[in-house]
Parts: sequence; C-alpha cells; structure tokens
Amino acid sequence: MAVETTTGSRPAPAAGDGGSTAGPGRGSGGGDADRTGRKSGASGRLGRAVSRYWYAWAMVAPVVGVIGVIVGYPLLRGVYLSLTDADEANVERVIGVNHLPATYKFTGLDNYVSILGDSVFWDRLGWTVVWTAGCVGVTFVLGLTLAVMLNRQVRGRSFYRIGMIVPWGIPAFVSVFAWKMLFNEKNGLLNQVLDGGGIDAVPWLGDPFWAKVAVIAVNVWLGVPFMIVAMLGALQGIPGELYEAAEMDGAGPWQRFRNITLPGLRAVSSTVVLLSTIWTFNMFPVIYLLTRGGPEDSTEILVTYAFRLSFINSPRDFATSAAWGVLILVLLSLFTVVYRRALRRQGEVW
Amino acid sequence: MRRVTAVTAAAAVLALTATACGGDGGSSDNAGKGEIAGTVTYWDTSNDAEKGTYKKIAEDFEKKHPKVDVKYVHVNFGDANQKFKNAAGGNSGAPDVMRTEVAWVADFANLGYLAPLDGTPALDDAGDYLKTAAGSTRFKGKTYAVPQVTDTLGLFYNKKMLKEAGVGVPGSFDELKKSAKKIKSKTGKTGLYLRGDDPYWFLPYLYGEGGDLVDPTAKKVTVDDAPGAKAFARMKDLVDSGAAVTDSSDGQENGLKAFQDGDVAMIVDGPWDIAGAQQGKEFKDDKDNLGVAPVPAGSKAAGSPQGGWNLSVYAGTKNMRTAQEFAKYMSSAEVQQRTTEELSLLPTRESVYDKPSVRGNKMVEFFKPAVDEAVQRPWIAEGNSLFEPVRGQMDAVLTGGRSPEEAADKVGDDFRKLLKDQDYK
Amino acid sequence: MAATETTPETAPAKSAPAKSAPVKTAAPRRRGERGPLAAFGLHAGLLAATAVALFPPLWLLVTSFKPKSESFSTAVVRDFTVDNYTHVVADTYFLTWLGNSLIVVVGTTLVGVFIAATTGYAISRFRFPGMRPLMWVLLITQMFPMAVLIVPLYNTMASLGLLNQPVGLIITYLTVAVPFCAWMMKGFFDTVPVDIDESGRVDGLTPFGTFWRLILPLARPGLAVTGFYTFVTAWAEVAYATAFMTGEENLTLAGGLQTFVNRYGSDWGSMTAAAVIIAVPAAVVFGFAQRHLVAGLTAGATKA
Repeated sequence: MAVETTTGSRPAPAAGDGGSTAGPGRGSGGGDADRTGRKSGASGRLGRAVSRYWYAWAMVAPVVGVIGVIVGYPLLRGVYLSLTDADEANVERVIGVNHLPATYKFTGLDNYVSILGDSVFWDRLGWTVVWTAGCVGVTFVLGLTLAVMLNRQVRGRSFYRIGMIVPWGIPAFVSVFAWKMLFNEKNGLLNQVLDGGGIDAVPWLGDPFWAKVAVIAVNVWLGVPFMIVAMLGALQGIPGELYEAAEMDGAGPWQRFRNITLPGLRAVSSTVVLLSTIWTFNMFPVIYLLTRGGPEDSTEILVTYAFRLSFINSPRDFATSAAWGVLILVLLSLFTVVYRRALRRQGEVW
Repeated sequence: MRRVTAVTAAAAVLALTATACGGDGGSSDNAGKGEIAGTVTYWDTSNDAEKGTYKKIAEDFEKKHPKVDVKYVHVNFGDANQKFKNAAGGNSGAPDVMRTEVAWVADFANLGYLAPLDGTPALDDAGDYLKTAAGSTRFKGKTYAVPQVTDTLGLFYNKKMLKEAGVGVPGSFDELKKSAKKIKSKTGKTGLYLRGDDPYWFLPYLYGEGGDLVDPTAKKVTVDDAPGAKAFARMKDLVDSGAAVTDSSDGQENGLKAFQDGDVAMIVDGPWDIAGAQQGKEFKDDKDNLGVAPVPAGSKAAGSPQGGWNLSVYAGTKNMRTAQEFAKYMSSAEVQQRTTEELSLLPTRESVYDKPSVRGNKMVEFFKPAVDEAVQRPWIAEGNSLFEPVRGQMDAVLTGGRSPEEAADKVGDDFRKLLKDQDYK
Repeated sequence: MAATETTPETAPAKSAPAKSAPVKTAAPRRRGERGPLAAFGLHAGLLAATAVALFPPLWLLVTSFKPKSESFSTAVVRDFTVDNYTHVVADTYFLTWLGNSLIVVVGTTLVGVFIAATTGYAISRFRFPGMRPLMWVLLITQMFPMAVLIVPLYNTMASLGLLNQPVGLIITYLTVAVPFCAWMMKGFFDTVPVDIDESGRVDGLTPFGTFWRLILPLARPGLAVTGFYTFVTAWAEVAYATAFMTGEENLTLAGGLQTFVNRYGSDWGSMTAAAVIIAVPAAVVFGFAQRHLVAGLTAGATKA
C-alpha cells in the first residue's frame, strides 16, 4: 500500500496506550486469552500531535472516505429529497441522448406532515414494533432454551448443534423461498400435512393474521441459530465453580439459572438483543420475498413500505420514501440511545 | 408542465432518428437486404407456456436480417414494469424493444421512456389494426407502441364437470353461484376459482354492476359509486358462500393448477392461459374438454376489460432503426398468425382474422366477438397505478373482513390522491 | 423416577472439539446426572428443534430432484431426476448470476475487510482527535435502514452509470459491511497484546509496518471472520440487488431466484435446484467459520 512509503520519513510514534480503550477482557465471546494488558508504556503525551495523529488518520481515511461518500452524501441527499416533491416524473433523467432536467421543488416539511397525519404510517409502525418485538423475543427465548439444552452433556451434541445452525448458513433468500413453497395454501406441504390430520387448510400467506404468524415464524427460524451460538458461547464462559458453590448453598436449578446463568449472559445478550432488534427492524428479504407485504398491507413493515413507495408503486414517490427512511432512522437512533442508557443504568460497561 | 418537457424531448429523438434514417424509404420490403444491423435486446413478458414460442419467433428475426443479433430476454410479467422503470430511469440496461402491457404504455410514455413511432418503419399498415387494440398505443396524440396481441377475459369451464353436475354454462354470477352448489354436491369440487390476488380481475365484477374505475371525460372517480361496493360484495359473497375459492397470492399459479387438475370447474381467465390450461391433466388428452364462454354478468351487464400486449421501443435505444424494424416484425401479420396457431392468442390485425388457420381456431372463434365487446379502459398515464389500491382492498375484503362499502370508499380516496394533479373529483 | 446416578457420557466429549469448551470439563456436577425422563425430554426437545431447522432445506433438496410437475407432491422423490439441475445450468442465466454474485461478493469482501482492518486497528490502538465521533458514526451507520439510502444511491449510481454494474453493488455493499466489520476488527485487535506493537516499535517499524507485518498476521482469524461476515451479508442481500440490477444477465443470485418464483408463475423445479447449488457451498463454508463468527460478532460489540 502507498501508505507504507509515506511513513518512512516519520520517526517512531507513540503507538501506545492501546489497552485503555478495551474493556476488561471478559472472554464472553469465547476464546480469547485473559489479557489484562494495561501497559502504560505509552510515552504518548510527548509525541508531536501531528506526527502522532498522522498515522491514525491515514488508517481511518479509507473508511471515513467510504462512509462520507456513500453513506454521508446519500444520507444528506435523502434528507433533502424528503423535503421536496420528487417522484419519477420530475427527477433528472437521462434517456439515451436526451437529458430531462429535474423539476421537483422544495416543499419543506409537507411530506412529514402528511406522513405523520396519515394512519398508514402509524399502522405500519405498530406492526413493525410487534414484528420486531415478537421476532426478537421468541428468537431470544428459543435460542436461550436450546443453548441451555445444548450446553449439557448430551449424546449427539455436535450433531444437534450443527443441525440447528444450518438455517444460518443458507442465504436468507433461499430459505425464504423454501418456506414459501411449504406455506403455499393450496399445494404446500404444511397444508397437505394438516389436511392429512383432518385440519382445514390454513391460509398461511393469504390471511392477515396467518401471514403475520408466517413471516414471524420464518424470521425466527432464520434468527435462532445465531442466538444459539451466541448464547452457547456465553454459557461456556460462565465458570463452573459458580454453579458448584451455589449448589452447595442449596440453590435449586431454577435459582441457579436465575442467579448465575442469566446474569452471566447479560453482557452478550444485551448485545445480541440490540443487534437482532436492529436487524429485524430493517429485515427486508423475509417480508419482501414471502408476502410482498400482503395481504393488503398487513405484513408490510416500515422498511419494505419505503421500498415499495420508491420502487414498486406507480408513480414512484421518491420524496415520501426518503421521508420514511429518515423517520426510520430517527426511530432506530432513539431506540439505541434509550437502550444503551437503560443498560448503563444497570451498571453495564457498554 | 413536466409532461410537456418529456414529450418534446421524446419528439426530439424522433426527429433525430427520422433524419438518421430518412434515406431508406423502401424499408417495408427490405427483408434479406440486410441493411439493418446490430444487437436488439428484446424483453419478453409472455408467460411460461408462451415463452418458448416467443423466443423462437424473436430469434427468427435474425434469419430475415442476418446482421442483426436478437437478444431475447424473458422477464416475468409481474416484475417487468418495475424492472423497466429501474432500468430506464437509471439510464442503464433498458431493452431496445419490450413487450408492454396495454396499461403501461401511457405510463412509460408519460415519463419519456418510449420513442414515438408515428412515421417510422415500426408503424406498418396501421389501418389494419383493430381499433380497440390500437387505442392503447396512443398517448397525447402520439403513437408509442404497436399492438401485438389483444385479449379479454372469458369464463373457462371444464365441460365434463359441468355435465356431471348437470348444469349449463352460467350466464351470470347469480347463476354461477347456484351451479356451484350443484357442482359441489355432485362432484365434491368447487365451482369457481376467483382471482383474489390480481386487481385486474376486479374489473369484470365492476363492469357487471355497471360501474367503472374512473370517468376520464368527466374527470371523476367513479369506483366508489354504488357499483364499486356491489362488485366487492359480489366477490366476497362468492367466496363466503363456498361457490368460489381464492388466494391473496400466487393466484396465477394456484388458479391455473386448480383448473388444470379439475379441483375447480370454472375460472375467469384470458387467452394467455389457453395453452397452459391445455397442458393440465383434465385437458391434456381431451382438448375439447376446455370450454370458454363470456364472463358472467353481474346485476346490470356482462363486461370484461380489454387487455393485451403492445411492443414499445425504448426512447434511449442506441439502435433505433433496428429496434423499430424488430417491433414491426413482432407485430406483423405473419407473427400474429403464428402466435394464434401455436398459442391461440388473438391477433390485433384485421387481416389475420381472415386467414383460414386463424378463423378455424376455436378459441379465436370465441374470443374475437368477446374482444370486440370488451370494455376499453381509459388510457391515461395513471391507468396502471390505479390497480394497486384495488389490490389492497380486494385483499381486505376477501381476507380481512373489511366491508365492501368501506373498501370502495378507500379505493376512491386513493384514486383521488393518485389523480390529484389532474383535479379528479 | 429415582435419580439414578448415571455416569456422564464421555463418548460425545471426544467428538466435540476439546478446545471449544475448556471450562466445562472441570465441572463434575449435576449436568451429567439426569433421570431417564429428563434425558428423554432433552433429546426430544433437541431433536424437534433440529428437525425444524433442517426440514425446509432438506425439502428443497428433495424437491429439486422431482420432476417439475410434481414439485408439490408430498411423496419423497418418486421419479428421481436431475432435469432441474441441467435445466438451470444449461438453459437459464444461472451461471451468469452466480458469476455476478461472486464478483460482487468477492470484491466487497476484499475491499471491505482491508479498509475495515486499518480502521479497526487505528481505533483499537490510537487515541486521536475525531476518534469518538468516528466510533459513533460507525455505530450508527450499522443500523442505517437501506430505505434511507436506497433512493439517493440509486440516483447517484444512475448518474455515474454504475447501475447494472457489479462495481455499483460493491460500493453499495461497503456501506453495509464496513462499519460493522470495523467494529469487529477493533474487537480482535483489542485481543492482540500491545507488547507486540511495542516490540515492533523497538525494532524500528513504523505503525504501518507494525500493523502490516506483525499485527495483521496475528489477527488472521479476525480477518477470516470479518471476511466471512461480509461475504454472507453481500451474498444474501436482496433490496439493493433488486433495485440496482435489471436485465436478466446482470442479476445476482438474489434477483435471479426471484425470476423463477414470482407472482405470475412459479418454476419450483428450477428454483429448488438453483437454491441447492447456492446453499450447499455456502453452508459448508459456513460450517467451518460459524464458531469464530459469533465470537467476533459479540466480541466486537461488547467491547465497544
């Protein structure tokens, strides 16, 4: 890389004070050595500021560049678009040799006013919250349960473990199609099996209620493996002595679970819950490919609806879609801030 | 305002191309001379049963013009509109020629994506086109496409099953409901597959009650008048009473399969599914078992929308001349005759109906008069976007328990939003 | 029902990699002792979960060997056929899609991992002005919904002529992959002792030299994990791929599969065959990487 040559002229910097940003190595993810490296051999404060920062800045420059150009700029543009009346008929277009200039205009907060004043947004938001909470909740409970079961010495453990993780290894869009095939109301396997058991066909994807159940089920199916592996890693990080001591004190299984296992899992679970929440909130493929948001709009979450506004509906309403995007971002940021604050209050280092 | 810009820009393309190929006046019989060349990408939107034939037809163009390379790309009907807009709007990857649904032409033309074809080789013997079919190719006084096939809906029925149940072909939905009861008791099967997933199938019910989506001359949204609610109610009643089954998704596949397998006795469908239906187990060995009748009447009339497919040329094509020739070929009498013979599709040219092989085709025999009476839709730019609100409310009525009146009102409100620039009432 | 003392089964312990669970072996406690009923319950639960997890992919596999017309039959392969596979490979654009996907995914992975690594290292080792804002930006970007970026990106790509180009998708996917990977890499670098940096410095290496020659080789597992994460994310992305790639021969697999099964007709035979071809290699690679993947995911985030 070019950077290496530029460094030649500079004398050795203070690369020091590294360990200070790292939290105590809690080994929660499993597998890292116990490093308490608090080497404060950092002669940092002597170094010339520029010569010191030069390296760091050069190293982060590509990412800053990437984020600035392909996240920052589009984001600003998105925010701007959300304040206009841009749609497919008035944005700048190039058609072969023709160039049609943009003719949309600034409309201020009109889009936001009409979105927030319309029940569509609130309906979608309500379902998105249910969807996220449902998916994350069920995934978490199932993942934890299975991880606890797997954490026991049970014959065939590796087999179970590998088997349960399979859904994670398959691209989601492939799995979703597999489920779509199973859910097919008239010919799908699920209904044929139910039919064999004398139960009427369930309109899996054809009824608002069942469609919601179906999309959540598929997303849980996709998400549980990650949860299992994460929880398993965390469980294995809990020292066995704690259990022994508790047992000696006469604690029952449930008490041990509550007082040792759950607290021991907290660090990892708070992270995975946050991650899953963000992922689920933004989960596009499951809904887009399984139900396309139907029937009616019943399974449409905020993200898929925004996509529909700009790429499926006719006319394509870029401005409103951008405004939805901004609102989604605001919601997620709010959630993250609140979540982190709540964790901090509980004494988490996070 | 912006419309005007788009149209002028498109007109500019026309002018350019006109000058570019002004010299070759005798283009109509240049087959074999090989004066056109280059690659022409063609997006075909035909269905699974049809696409093999269309591919062959499209590639046969190379035989006539050896220097032309036809790149046949099959794009699913369901994605085609979206994909074309993605491609044309992004100035990347749009096909030179596309098989365009009748309702899309005005939409695309309005955005400036289509090249006007008046006075170009593409528009060949325009007087030969059926008037109804040609209607959808025009937008704001210009021609943006050439018709390839026309269609309308009909009632497909399984002759054996109706016979077994001892009922005739229903002429109205009321009658159909009664017949369905008999069919159920005699054969255990359901009477009708009702397409609940696709808003196009709302139209026969709406027309049957004497309504329409909008009235473009009076600039009025009419779907929330009484017939709209009645149409929703009719569909709901058919499903609730067990006379019909429906799906809110995969209707094309499930419906055709149910009809092919004899799980339902009837389905409202169009000529594009004739070939598909005949591949099913109920009809494979007994092609005559497939009957087609006019769409049943509602309380006021029987009415079915006019549909079909046109060929449009992308305004940004780098190979305008070849694209126009290709569109002309795909819309020619020769190709139309072939699609009728092989797929039972309905030609858009008067002259083709005189060909013995076409005249003798049973499906054409039925569908031609039906098409002649089919209800013309308003060919406005927003015509295509009107379907989405209907789809949502069809779902809501058929699966979600919304009342037909509410649904019709909701559709009306959505229409007014979509048409607000045109001041619809 | 009496809790008979059963000896802890030692057999499976052998099959499980010993390294993975160092803590556990030291615990001679009730985990081993289970009544038969509890053992039954445990196995039943695990079996059921495994069955649910495995069934849909297995059913895909089974269906892919059925003739197209029998895709929906409940019977396990009656007329075995590989027609679906030959059809998909020979008559569709499948291989082109696969190629497109590979170009996009490999490109994203290489670029993404490299720039994520330098950044991760910088945040892990240095304190510099702008570091905290950068960390915040990285964190927030992770949760950017594609909905907010997709339209502006689409317009930008269009004006740059990058729609329908693998490069366009690679750039787009970097927005998704880089912030998260930078976090993960930071977590990995945090586990590399600082002594090593110092020894590099003592030897007269520049920070870049230290990073490149000493630290990066040590962080190889971390690179593998971030690489794999990027790979999986890009491999499975649907929304951008659907909007940015048109024209049959430009699609990636995510878009290509949609052409098999859509609202107006479903070719389940081709779909399942294609799905199997996509899923099997992905699942195998995944099988090797998954253990490290979680460690990386959670480590990167918990140590924030």
